[in-house]
Amino acid sequence: MKQIFGILITLIVLYIFTTVIGESFLSPFNQEQILKRTALYGLLAIGVSFVIITGGIDLSIGSVVCLVGCGIPWLVMKHGWSPAAAVTAAFLVAIMIGLLHGFLITKVKLQPFVVTLCGLLIYRGATRGFAEDQTQGFGSGYLEFRKLATGKLQITDQFGIPMPFLLLVVVGVFAWLLLNKTIWGRYLFALGNNEEAARLSGINTDRMVTLSYVICSVLAALGGLLFVLDGNSAQPGAFGNFYELYAIAAAVLGGCSLRGGSGTVLGVIIGAAVMQVLKNMINLIDWLKSHMEFLVVGVVLLVAVVADELVKRRVRRVK
Amino acid sequence: MLSARGVTKRFPGVVALKGVDLKVARGEVVSLIGENGAGKSTLMKILAGVQKPDEGEITMDGRRLDVSSVAAAQAEGVSLIHQELNLAENLSVAANLFLGREPNRFGFMDQKTIRLEARKYLTKVGLEIDPETPLSQLSLGKQQLVEIAKALSTRAKVIIMDEPTSSLSHGEVETLFEVVRDLKEQGVSVIYVSHRLAEVMTVSDRVVVFRDGEKVGELGVGEATHEAMVRLMVGRDVSQLYQRTEHELGEPALSVKGLRTEANPDHEINLQVRAGEVVGIAGLVGAGRSEMLEAIFGMTPPLAGKVQGVLPKSPREAMSLGLAFVPEDRKKKGLILDLTVEENTSLASLKMDARGPFLNREKEKRLCREMTKALAIKTPGPWQKARFLSGGNQQKIVLAKWLALSPTVLLLDEPTRGVDIGSKEEIYQLMEKFASEGMAVLFVSSELDEIMGMADRVLVMREGRLTGELGRSDFSEEAIMNLATQS
Amino acid sequence: MKKLLASTMALTAFAFSGCGDKEEGKASYALVAPSVSNFWEICKKGSEDAAKELGVETEFITPQSITDQKAKIEDLLSKGVDGISMAVGDPENQTGFINEAAARVPLITVDTDAPDSDRQVFIGIDNYEAGWLAGDLVKEAAPDGGEVVIFIGNLSQLNSRQRRQGLIDNLVGREKDSSRYDAPGQVVTGEKYSILDTLLDGVDSPKAKANAADALTKHGNLAVMVGLFDYNAPQIVEELKQSNKVGLVKVVSFDEHAGTLAAIKEGIIYGTVVQNPYDYGYQSIKVLHAIKSGDTGMIPENGIIEIPARIIRKDNVEEFEKDLNAKLGK
Repeated sequence: MKQIFGILITLIVLYIFTTVIGESFLSPFNQEQILKRTALYGLLAIGVSFVIITGGIDLSIGSVVCLVGCGIPWLVMKHGWSPAAAVTAAFLVAIMIGLLHGFLITKVKLQPFVVTLCGLLIYRGATRGFAEDQTQGFGSGYLEFRKLATGKLQITDQFGIPMPFLLLVVVGVFAWLLLNKTIWGRYLFALGNNEEAARLSGINTDRMVTLSYVICSVLAALGGLLFVLDGNSAQPGAFGNFYELYAIAAAVLGGCSLRGGSGTVLGVIIGAAVMQVLKNMINLIDWLKSHMEFLVVGVVLLVAVVADELVKRRVRRVK
Repeated sequence: MLSARGVTKRFPGVVALKGVDLKVARGEVVSLIGENGAGKSTLMKILAGVQKPDEGEITMDGRRLDVSSVAAAQAEGVSLIHQELNLAENLSVAANLFLGREPNRFGFMDQKTIRLEARKYLTKVGLEIDPETPLSQLSLGKQQLVEIAKALSTRAKVIIMDEPTSSLSHGEVETLFEVVRDLKEQGVSVIYVSHRLAEVMTVSDRVVVFRDGEKVGELGVGEATHEAMVRLMVGRDVSQLYQRTEHELGEPALSVKGLRTEANPDHEINLQVRAGEVVGIAGLVGAGRSEMLEAIFGMTPPLAGKVQGVLPKSPREAMSLGLAFVPEDRKKKGLILDLTVEENTSLASLKMDARGPFLNREKEKRLCREMTKALAIKTPGPWQKARFLSGGNQQKIVLAKWLALSPTVLLLDEPTRGVDIGSKEEIYQLMEKFASEGMAVLFVSSELDEIMGMADRVLVMREGRLTGELGRSDFSEEAIMNLATQS
Repeated sequence: MKKLLASTMALTAFAFSGCGDKEEGKASYALVAPSVSNFWEICKKGSEDAAKELGVETEFITPQSITDQKAKIEDLLSKGVDGISMAVGDPENQTGFINEAAARVPLITVDTDAPDSDRQVFIGIDNYEAGWLAGDLVKEAAPDGGEVVIFIGNLSQLNSRQRRQGLIDNLVGREKDSSRYDAPGQVVTGEKYSILDTLLDGVDSPKAKANAADALTKHGNLAVMVGLFDYNAPQIVEELKQSNKVGLVKVVSFDEHAGTLAAIKEGIIYGTVVQNPYDYGYQSIKVLHAIKSGDTGMIPENGIIEIPARIIRKDNVEEFEKDLNAKLGK
């Protein structure tokens, strides 16, 4: 609770602020949008937070989103695969990618930054290759399949909870269980704080690090699937660009330290929500021009991180 | 000449120095001794401008000294020679001597002056070498002398030496002592910090003993006997500190055969420790003792050899053979500082106690409760982060982590380094208790008192090989040092 | 931190209270571009002038990608705009979403169309025809024929695909057929001209310049380089200047990038096909406001308001630039 306090307050303040000045902010339609976007980016952020907790980083998320987001419609539309087969293939590829990252980082001892930077280039390049730079989508078909992202659980006739958000809740609960209730979660935190000491305590640190990269890639694939089902249009050159940075930003906002060893699932989800509410706010408020988006997001991120650091330092001093 | 009065230094949670006085006369060699954490290194760092005192003043010939920084202290004539040498290995001896204050002419380095000056100061410390020699070609002992020459070149009046002999061979130690005597004659004062009591007796005019941040006594040349120094350092008779009981030794519990480590691939190590036996490993820093323990435990897997009949490739494997290892650097290798006492205690046994993949919180809590009680770990609660505990209590958590696995062999590397005297005594008692319960204990220590006090048998290492073995009746500082340094 | 946040909140709430309310009764429209470029800046100016004339409000949005465009339009819907004019990035796959949005507010497409969607009207040129015009320019510039390489941002938009196809079909002397498609890698050869390659840059100017350099290196015998997105030809010119190859290769451009106009005056670019982005913006707002007011009289039978393309060469570039600057209020 202590760890997510700051970010939770930030979210509440943003909500109140935007409600006061942007009249349509609280409309059911807009709230649905916010929930959906929080879910899409939140899934990526949960994935990367596993890696960040171990003290690593994954820069290839956006490219995995692109690979899966272009790959699934490409398999379905161009090669006539069934959606189920295409999705299965996509997740298998994501698992392989995670295993490959883990192998290169733990066995070949390459730095995570370098490994996943190469991944960023390779997966996007490969996608542009097989998709021949053509935009991929499902056209006007496969509406049932697309319900996975576009469907809603109607609460009132005005408002429904978007499917991606329900998926986020499910994934979030599993992630929370894994991190807090299993030995693997404890191992991840332990090795994120001090890999050497963890290994000396008999923990198979290599396997745990690899696990974190597999989780990250699989959630990136899930994100990519939902993004393309929702938007129905994925350009190999642009789809998912910078998404790894949004995910990392949300994880950091949510209390993950890039030094490793700390982070909470709820914090990360709230972090993702803060980013999305901010973007929404910029579009809703007339005097904030949309080209100021990066500026505002960047400044808020910086303020939040600085405030968090100051609070932590204060707490440390009190102790 | 040099005088410190009422020097006090506080760190968060501890007072490292409590109003200490120290006087050093011109041309005098004063030794500072004390346990780890007694305050001697803090005082030394304050004198050399590395740390600032909270209270007190430092004067030279009645004039207040500016020791606000290392550079300021050097300008005032106080130089510190660190235990780990601060030299640039790839540069020449001359370049090292004048690093950062090269004589120059119009901004260009004046190579001729540098060479001449360098030769002058090298001669003063008895080094007849070409100043252009790359430093890396010199032995550690000679590098040490270069450091001293460097101090002299700053016109040092007081040179502080921190554990100067910790990595020197016997012959090099003798050379160093001659240089110290020369310095005396040139009117330079030396503050000599060491835990090698025999050396201290040889070299100093006066011995100042520290304990728990206070000066507890001063001994002149005649009074500084081994017993007197230890009694002051420890605050009681040593015999009380190390309490061993006689008990039957069992079957061999640890057997190491043909072990070759990455650090010393040319030597094979063979040893055995019987159940209930405590074996100490002595040797100089760099003799390969830690490397041997780390290889036995699979931390850096050995190149060849068998431990309990297999080649340990990872700590996990060593653990499955019944081994446990308390590493020297508990903050980097022993503990996970930002996890709680409870989480650290259960880390090694987590898997054993788990229900499937899920943590068993009840067992974990119970384990921590039991261990905190059994090892008398002082913590405000199981939720406290290990970071905030004292060195002694941290060390006990590391022990607790392994005891949870009920190992048959306990390996310890410098088990009492940086631990206060009270915890030291408790750790010794625990070692005795484990042995009497049938555990085989193998420990590395650089403190001869500790080795001789605790071990049933001592193995001595030099340059990566075992050079000798001494039974309890043959223990003496001389015998061990001979085996450790003779070539 | 709680205190800090609370006080900032109070402050900002105070400072901006009332600020967000839009003026009562004033209709507001939005123009959603596909990306940032000079072309769309002119379009924006046209929309602003129309808004001023009509006494309505307009907003100009530049998303970063198709995914982002969707989010931006959803936000506009949340906000409650009275009409949207958008450039469609991906007609095949975006149709569903366009229909959802069109069900909520009047929606028209501009510059790039989604012909099968429920949009009310499309304002733009027939890109196939415009590409054909560019083909005419190539024929004028290199009457003896030769090797041609095409530079373009992407081929996912219908307009870029048709524009390119019109050019190719004209050069190799085919019948007009806007549904034809030659894949970018394959060489298309006619009697006089052969189109060696089409290089895509993903709407990234530095990449476009690198593409120009690569083409010059790879094909030593190029007769004409055709830039089909507004920044393409200026990037080609830059590369030609830097590698001292000005004059060796003819350049044909599309749109009225300032760099293009300057290079036409210098004689480096032979000519350019211009659309009328100012009118795109201007007409967008006019049409949206008419629809909003219940007047659908200006929507033609085929649902397309065509704003014809023109050819600009050295002879009429000055005049064109003067008119453009006047519209932009420079």
